[in-house]
Amino acid sequence: MSLVSGPGRGGMTDLPEELRLFVDKHVSYIQSLDTRKDELEYWLTEHLRLNGLYWGLTALHLLGHPDALPRHEVVDFVLSCMHESGGFGAAPGHDAHMLYTVSGVQILATLDAFDDLEARVKSGRQRIGQYIADLQDPESGTFAGDEWQEKDTRFLYGALNALSLLGLLHLVNVDKAVEHVQSCANFDGGYGTSPGAESHAGQVFTCLGALTITGRLDLVDKDKLGAWLSERQLKNGGLNGRPEKKEDVCYSWWVLSSLAMLNKVHWIDGKKLASFILHCQDPELGGFADRPGDMVDVFHTVFGIAGLSLLKFPGLAEVDPVYCMPRVVTKRCLGQ
Amino acid sequence: MASHGITRVADSTVRSVESRQRELQQIAAYKDLVDIVNTKVAERWYTIEVLALVTKLLNENPEYYTIWNHRRRILGSLLSESLSGAPDSQKQKQPAEDLINSDLQLTFGLLRKFPKCYWIWNHRHWILQKAESLLDVTTARRLWLGELQLVSKMLHSDSRNFHAWNYRRFVVTQLERIPVSATPLPDATPSKQSLAESEFEYTTKMIKTNLSNFSAWHNRSRLIPRLLDEREADIATRRKMLDDELALICTAVNTDPFDQSIWYYHQFLMSTLSPDCPRQSRLALDLSNQDRQRYYEHEMEYIREILEDEEDCKWIYEALLHCASSYLDIDGGTKTFTTVDMRSWLDALKRLDPLRKGRWDELSRSLNL
Ligand SMILES: [Zn+2]
Repeated sequence: MSLVSGPGRGGMTDLPEELRLFVDKHVSYIQSLDTRKDELEYWLTEHLRLNGLYWGLTALHLLGHPDALPRHEVVDFVLSCMHESGGFGAAPGHDAHMLYTVSGVQILATLDAFDDLEARVKSGRQRIGQYIADLQDPESGTFAGDEWQEKDTRFLYGALNALSLLGLLHLVNVDKAVEHVQSCANFDGGYGTSPGAESHAGQVFTCLGALTITGRLDLVDKDKLGAWLSERQLKNGGLNGRPEKKEDVCYSWWVLSSLAMLNKVHWIDGKKLASFILHCQDPELGGFADRPGDMVDVFHTVFGIAGLSLLKFPGLAEVDPVYCMPRVVTKRCLGQ
Repeated sequence: MASHGITRVADSTVRSVESRQRELQQIAAYKDLVDIVNTKVAERWYTIEVLALVTKLLNENPEYYTIWNHRRRILGSLLSESLSGAPDSQKQKQPAEDLINSDLQLTFGLLRKFPKCYWIWNHRHWILQKAESLLDVTTARRLWLGELQLVSKMLHSDSRNFHAWNYRRFVVTQLERIPVSATPLPDATPSKQSLAESEFEYTTKMIKTNLSNFSAWHNRSRLIPRLLDEREADIATRRKMLDDELALICTAVNTDPFDQSIWYYHQFLMSTLSPDCPRQSRLALDLSNQDRQRYYEHEMEYIREILEDEEDCKWIYEALLHCASSYLDIDGGTKTFTTVDMRSWLDALKRLDPLRKGRWDELSRSLNL
């Protein structure tokens, strides 16, 4: 799978001086996230804790500082979010949901900790896999987020992402899931959250990701979708998520990674995008924001760094565009 | 942890002693509230009092999804209590309606403040489905009609809100599903009604307010084929719809040729001409290649007219190339344009749109230009 390569892309070595990546600042920014317990915001965002850990950990791995968070503490925390059912909540005491279960699996995969899981939770992998599989709707093939039955292509992608990392894709009806993705396609080549919904870069990422994982990219109108994705780039280099919307670092990732899955990264100006992303850094305290000058957060930080990695920015580890995880990790898990 | 559009302020670690103190108090109060709610729910204290605490907490933090789950646990219990006993007695039903209404109010208020929070939309969805299963058809229908008004209000303040458009389509499906009257008609014809016509009018209204509203154009592209089927439109009516839509979009293009939304709808209409277009997306059903040729010629002619005033608009060249290659696909020949024309359009794209140079290079290879 040569997902990140595409013709016609130069290196980033000729970028001007001021466009530097402040690696050390970002590392200490991420390390500081769990020490902010005297800020109300820390408590108000507890429902994102496990996602936040996945975002931070992935960013650190891509930055070449995989040990900046203590491994055993991370594994302990992840397992403390796991329920009897096999699902994970955002933090201890929070209900299980697909979104956190996927983050839990991604973190364990990144830390090569599936054995730790098995050692501490009997049939841990199988239980997680079953929790996810039970959320598939047998009729439509799509997935619910949890027992309350919200359905969205985000959950379908998450399910296939986690199951493939666990080597348990066979637990679900893959053909039905693919059929559902197909039914969300639009005339512009893009995909929406459900059949009939407007194309949206985030949903394009999840649908293309699902089709890549299941080996069904043959179903995609690559030229049409590539064209739509490439039109997300605005004059300042940033990418938006839908026509006539503003640019944003997170959408930049979803669009760029989708282009990478289609082998069409060269359909946009990578140098300008890299420059846009770099301008979203906080050069003093680290972290990335959605746009230059805005408040940073760990969500935009990982997507900024992952975007730069996909653009072959020097000094970063290679990212897998389908999983938003280090490529070495997905290679190991998928046996490639 | 994921913020959008909030300006970065100076170092937040430099806070006054008072503000630090105040924040610590806020944290303590918030954590107390979280603890008490979690404890009560764990002990299955599914009461009105605990529900009020849940309301307070959700007003402080509507993203806390577990608390929404708790709310549904409590409500599920309270609703079945209020309906148990004499199911037909009006007196018994009143509290259930009150519970439902107060949740509709709560989520309405929160959606105004947090229109992009998934969990609030979800809860509203849940409470309405619950209402439908517990209340009579007329009441349920009234509630869903109220939702249509609510979502119109939301779209009035943000006409591109993704959640609101999704929710609108969902509400429409519900209204189409629920019988108009509680008593079945004598001849057993389904009393359901399609809202395709009124939704189509709604997209017209939205587009007239703002041509750049692609969400509305998108919905229109989905509604028209269905509408034509429901009208059982004949060949001539279908053609007229196609012509009217093309006329509408051409006026729009002329008004703002730099707007992507408009060109995407134009692309949609052109895609319905193709022999490869699936039946359920087509407008006209009887097009011969000769008809197609005429449509492409007409479009290209019109677009070239706009070009005279808007030489620097890349969308025009892209549309021309698009039409030209569709034209070639049906073996239209090169009567109305030459490969020299096509090459010049491609050169214009390369010049006007260097960001996507890689794409134009590939296009020129695939078109053999
Ligand atoms: Zn963003």
